[in-house]
Amino acid sequence: MTPGPLLLFAAAGLTAGLVAGRRHAPAWLGFTLAGAVAALVAAAQLLLGGAPWEWRSEFAVAGQPLHLRLDALGALFLALVAVVGGAGSVYAHGYWSDRDYPQSAPRGRLWWNTLLLSLGAVLLSWNGLHFLIAWELFTVAAFFLITLENQRRDVRAAGWLYLAASHLGTMCLFAFFAALAARTGSWELGPMRERADLAPLFWLALVGFGLKAGMFPLHIWLPSAHANAPSHVSAIMSGVTIKLGIYGLLRTAGWLPVPAAAPWTLIVLGAVTALLGIAFALAQSDVKRLLAYCSVENIGIILIGLGGALLAAADGSTSLTAGAAWGRLALAGALLHVWNHGLFKSLLFFGAGSVLHATGTREMSRLGGLWRAMPWTASLFALGAVAISGLPPLNGFVSEWLVYLGLFDAVTSRSPAAWAALPAAIMLGVTGALALATFVKAGSLIFLGAPRTAAARDAHECSPWMRGPMVAVAAACGAIALAPALCWPLIARAAGAWQPGWADLTPPASLFTLGGMQVALALLAFAAGFALWRRARADDVTRQLTWDCGYVVPTARMQYTSDSFAGIAGGWFAWILQPQRRLRRPRGLFPEGASRMERVPETVLERLIGPVAAVVMQASLAVRRLQHGRLQYYIAYVVVGLAGLGTLVVLGGGS
Amino acid sequence: MIVFLEFVARLVGWLVLAPLLPGIINKVKAWVGGRRGPPVLQLYYDLARLWQKGVVLSTLVSPGFIAGPAVAWVAVLGAALLLPLGPVGAGLSFRGDVLLLIYLLALARFCTAWAAMETGSAFEGMGAAREVSYAVLAEAAIITAVLALCVHSGSVSLATMLNPAAGAGAVLLAAGLFAVLLAENCRVPFDDPNTHLELTMIHEVMILDHSGPPLAAILHGASIKLLLFATLLVEAVVPLGGLSRPAAAGVLAAGVLVVTVGVGLVESLLARLAFRRVPLLLTTAFLLCLFALLVAWKGGAA
Repeated sequence: MTPGPLLLFAAAGLTAGLVAGRRHAPAWLGFTLAGAVAALVAAAQLLLGGAPWEWRSEFAVAGQPLHLRLDALGALFLALVAVVGGAGSVYAHGYWSDRDYPQSAPRGRLWWNTLLLSLGAVLLSWNGLHFLIAWELFTVAAFFLITLENQRRDVRAAGWLYLAASHLGTMCLFAFFAALAARTGSWELGPMRERADLAPLFWLALVGFGLKAGMFPLHIWLPSAHANAPSHVSAIMSGVTIKLGIYGLLRTAGWLPVPAAAPWTLIVLGAVTALLGIAFALAQSDVKRLLAYCSVENIGIILIGLGGALLAAADGSTSLTAGAAWGRLALAGALLHVWNHGLFKSLLFFGAGSVLHATGTREMSRLGGLWRAMPWTASLFALGAVAISGLPPLNGFVSEWLVYLGLFDAVTSRSPAAWAALPAAIMLGVTGALALATFVKAGSLIFLGAPRTAAARDAHECSPWMRGPMVAVAAACGAIALAPALCWPLIARAAGAWQPGWADLTPPASLFTLGGMQVALALLAFAAGFALWRRARADDVTRQLTWDCGYVVPTARMQYTSDSFAGIAGGWFAWILQPQRRLRRPRGLFPEGASRMERVPETVLERLIGPVAAVVMQASLAVRRLQHGRLQYYIAYVVVGLAGLGTLVVLGGGS
Repeated sequence: MIVFLEFVARLVGWLVLAPLLPGIINKVKAWVGGRRGPPVLQLYYDLARLWQKGVVLSTLVSPGFIAGPAVAWVAVLGAALLLPLGPVGAGLSFRGDVLLLIYLLALARFCTAWAAMETGSAFEGMGAAREVSYAVLAEAAIITAVLALCVHSGSVSLATMLNPAAGAGAVLLAAGLFAVLLAENCRVPFDDPNTHLELTMIHEVMILDHSGPPLAAILHGASIKLLLFATLLVEAVVPLGGLSRPAAAGVLAAGVLVVTVGVGLVESLLARLAFRRVPLLLTTAFLLCLFALLVAWKGGAA
């Protein structure tokens, strides 16, 4: 089957799910899964070398004829939508079931399918107006998904912030597409590299798409929205929808000429986003907020790769010269990281959701020791933690390795690009080490040690509906990790759709070696773990209390907490984290109570946007005083207004 | 067949020679302190004894407590096997293998810290937090040092990167890498491997609850890591590529011995730093590597 009928089938499946979702959950799940599988197959056809699929119709929507097109680059993102969308649907069936949430579950299914459909529409539209409509639809659908639990105040606040910030982005995109249409005379999209006058429009796109992607400092909406949404929604938002911002940037940079400063800006923004994103993540004590900030970091890594690709493309020609080769590696790394992050981030959010479901809290310092009750979730979360820290032998390492290799090649080629690549590589290294600290902290506080509260002690393993998608996504992570060379042609085709000269399908020789090393490492790690376990079991194992400096009755409260773990590295970023501490010291000979509270604010939001918003609100309040409902004053306003206009006419009438 | 034999020889070399280094360091410390000290082979005896012993596990730990040291040991050994040995070259060399080496060490760190957190002990949490935090700065220094070598040699694979004659920045690089070696291997002035006060330790406090074979794996892994860093330091600084094979092997061995004795001397003559000073020293190491990078950059342009 060609992609056309498959995509039609996918759309039909999702629409049927949309209709069925109101009453019948199993039917919804069946239809949605069928649609997701169809979309995945369509995307796979293109990534495996199928010709781009195109469909034009005279049928006009909003006055514009329909123009749908799917090429390898769109297919790369469509595959991610299908995989995470499908996995999320199964997860939602267990996590947000009709039994637990009789009111919001049907609503959630409705908006979930709307979200998937509009995400697909964004990836298929090659008309600026339709792109905008689909974009707005997916923004709104995501808003209703975030606010499924709208009886909670912080959920409403998060949804509101998301909606306001997203519309600022949409406004920029509206200006971008409208200006583009005004200058080219058509809403049709497509390559127009020769129109040098379109270059400045890139900045509008950067703000609009960058805001959706969660680029620093436009990320303000992201942590609260992703933390407060139901976990399957967090997974698709962190894993997929922020990637659509990357998709938009890729398309813009691929179709339009970019200003000379744009690649440099992207690399710098990417490096800053990565470093500060992970610094904020490390300081969080709410596991879902931590994961959300970590998404900001990963967007930074992708942006570094993208900026490097643009720099190389501007540097060399479109052909595979030495100058461009490193850019191709960086782009391949960025594109592969889009997949990788989508996969392990949804795995981690699913895991966090299971923990939330089992214990009712997202505060890591209230959890602990969950591995005993939730062995599946614990081991899958640990796998995701290793993957997201970019460690071998998992998939995060492969994509980061490609980005690194691109940057290192830029450095050794001694091109001017090295001045961006050098600091970016060092910052990437620091980011990696901080990510490791972040995920050692997250994993160990939640799953290891002793339970810190009764809720953590009484936890239970999640249902198979929730476990299944986690296993599936983890398996996908493992597949990419162990066979990176097989993924290369898919990525290369997407890169070729972006920059025609870059579609070299033979993987770099070192990628084969790396794949072999990853397999060997994974096998040896298993073998060594098993051997040591056997050896330790061979003699008698004595179980004892943890040795706490000879202390006989250690309690769970003596364990390290989130803030104490992050204290050292967090202190280096205190200038931006601005942690607020409340300390009550023990006083007197018989101290009654002492406490130390620490909170990391949303610095950009509270220190930068907050004051500005406060001024605007003040001004609005002042203006509002004019309106008070007293008729005589209104008549006076009219008279004064008329008099003013009259004066203007009389004075200006002479000319 | 030859390749296989060479691989086995390399593996056995790393496994057998590594525990020698802590013994030499201890001997140097004893000698400076005017004591007789433990025998040079003490760690071998310790490892053999620990391997025979039973295990005491905390009631809280999961299987990850034992898997952690095992995976960390594999990771460190894998990193060591990636390192070319002067004249013999690397067993397996590919573009970007240096990144795999750095990240394998990071994997070992992840596993050690994870295993430490298994116990739920405040002390081990403290050690893990310190380990992963200070590693951030060490990582910056080591990436910068690698970049300096890349720029100097124009290559991104270890075998060619460590081959050419050292540039003008060799001294800077040596100082920077030596500081990283001390930090990554938890030696004075960053950490004191001999102390018995949990509050002041990094690495040793992370392994307080380990015993028996897992502890043996940790100690052996740590000694491989020390040998790895010492070899890397020597190869980065001394131009082994120009020498004949026996001479290069001799120089490499002598270099590693000098570094080991140097660690012993530092440990005898310096006191451990206060913890708030540690970042300062690591930042200095980073800056030294950064200057080496700039020198390499300038040197190539001329």
